[in-house]
Amino acid sequence: MMTRPHDMGGRFGDGPIPIKVKDGKCVDDEPVFKFDWHAKALAVTLASASVGKWSIDKGRFFRESLPPFDYNRFSYYEKWISALVNLLIEKKLINTEELKNAVDEVTKNNNVLIDKNVFEHKDVLKPKDVSVTLGRGGPSKREDLKEPKYKIGDLVKTLNFSPNIYKIGGHTRLPIYARGKQGKIILQHDSHVLPDKSAHDLGDGQEHLYTVEFTSNELWGITNGNKNDVICIDLWESYLTDDT
Amino acid sequence: MSDLKNNEGHSHHHNHSVLPEEPELRVKAIETLLIQKGLIDPDTLNELIDTYENKIGPKNGARVVAKAWVDSSYKERLLKNSTKAIEELSYTGRQGEHMVVVENTPETHNMVVCTLCSCYPWPVLGLPPSWYKSDEYRARAVREPRKVLKEFGLSLNDNIKIKVWDSTSEMRYLVLPMRPKGTEGFSEDELSKIVTRNSMIGTGLPELNDD
Repeated sequence: MMTRPHDMGGRFGDGPIPIKVKDGKCVDDEPVFKFDWHAKALAVTLASASVGKWSIDKGRFFRESLPPFDYNRFSYYEKWISALVNLLIEKKLINTEELKNAVDEVTKNNNVLIDKNVFEHKDVLKPKDVSVTLGRGGPSKREDLKEPKYKIGDLVKTLNFSPNIYKIGGHTRLPIYARGKQGKIILQHDSHVLPDKSAHDLGDGQEHLYTVEFTSNELWGITNGNKNDVICIDLWESYLTDDT
Repeated sequence: MSDLKNNEGHSHHHNHSVLPEEPELRVKAIETLLIQKGLIDPDTLNELIDTYENKIGPKNGARVVAKAWVDSSYKERLLKNSTKAIEELSYTGRQGEHMVVVENTPETHNMVVCTLCSCYPWPVLGLPPSWYKSDEYRARAVREPRKVLKEFGLSLNDNIKIKVWDSTSEMRYLVLPMRPKGTEGFSEDELSKIVTRNSMIGTGLPELNDD
């Protein structure tokens, strides 16, 4: 079974959760942005999406498609900014030549030294529209005339390979740790954009979405953890079979 | 240099190698270029940063929880149609378009993770803390939730069932923690102050301060 480095649920080898602990309790006093460049990375990415118009799924696909060597060594916002560059180039909003020049410029000056451009892309996100745009978001729920195949309480089995039949190595949201496993439908969420299609500009391809509950034993075996524990995963209809 | 990868057919996933190694310079380079090209507005960047630094954060979620604790009909609405009930407090939009509130009970403890990236309910909790985005949390929360919770200082009895929610879709999960004993006379406002961020992710409990 093949996957990409982002698909790390259940992986062995990771150390303690990086939190500050005092007197046996987690101290939660981290600033929203640890560094100014974190804030900028977030803001530049969100603002660019207005002109780039890529789907959230495509954005995710570009982050997880960073070469494994880079994915593993980059911090969160380094992944964001690197994937953003790749998206902007693919969308032909920038090219590598321009990017090299910009790199030379900031390396020389060690700063952003530019005035606002007089030319403005027609879809550029304006400061006054920020709160409305964020408040609206981008709902993934869609109309669907098809009846849901499953109902709450049904037993299902997940595919034991990547459900993305549209693109080899394409985006999917069925984690590898939950492939070929039996679970129970516990929630129904109507129909939502299918990431496997949306990430590759293949339309919304909406499908019924369910939350499937798996026992810890089913996923990890009886020697792991507590048999009472369950893991709940949101899965689209085409990820599931009734061949239990 | 990225041309070397062209024959693989996915050179566009390698173009970022043009960027300098230093992350701060990376961001400056792309910011510079996008402003020069009129694709982003520098004032918009400041507005976005101000929004997530000062306006949207876990205090929003804490208001939702406190209201559910004092108002049983709100709690009912919240558990039935979470998105709509949260909208009553005007928390909406990006990364919270489809909300599901999951309730802790004496029998069940909920905790939330996103193993595939770092999905998190922004309108009610703001941006995720760095531990939530860490490989350690993403890799371990689904396989050994009890060990993870212990590191947060939370030891749960073996007979309490743990439900781990892996946020693989656009549904966003918010934990409704149990109201602690000793808060009977508290106002909604006072209650919202004891609702910690971690208690709404499921890696902590509400905290009664001594003051």
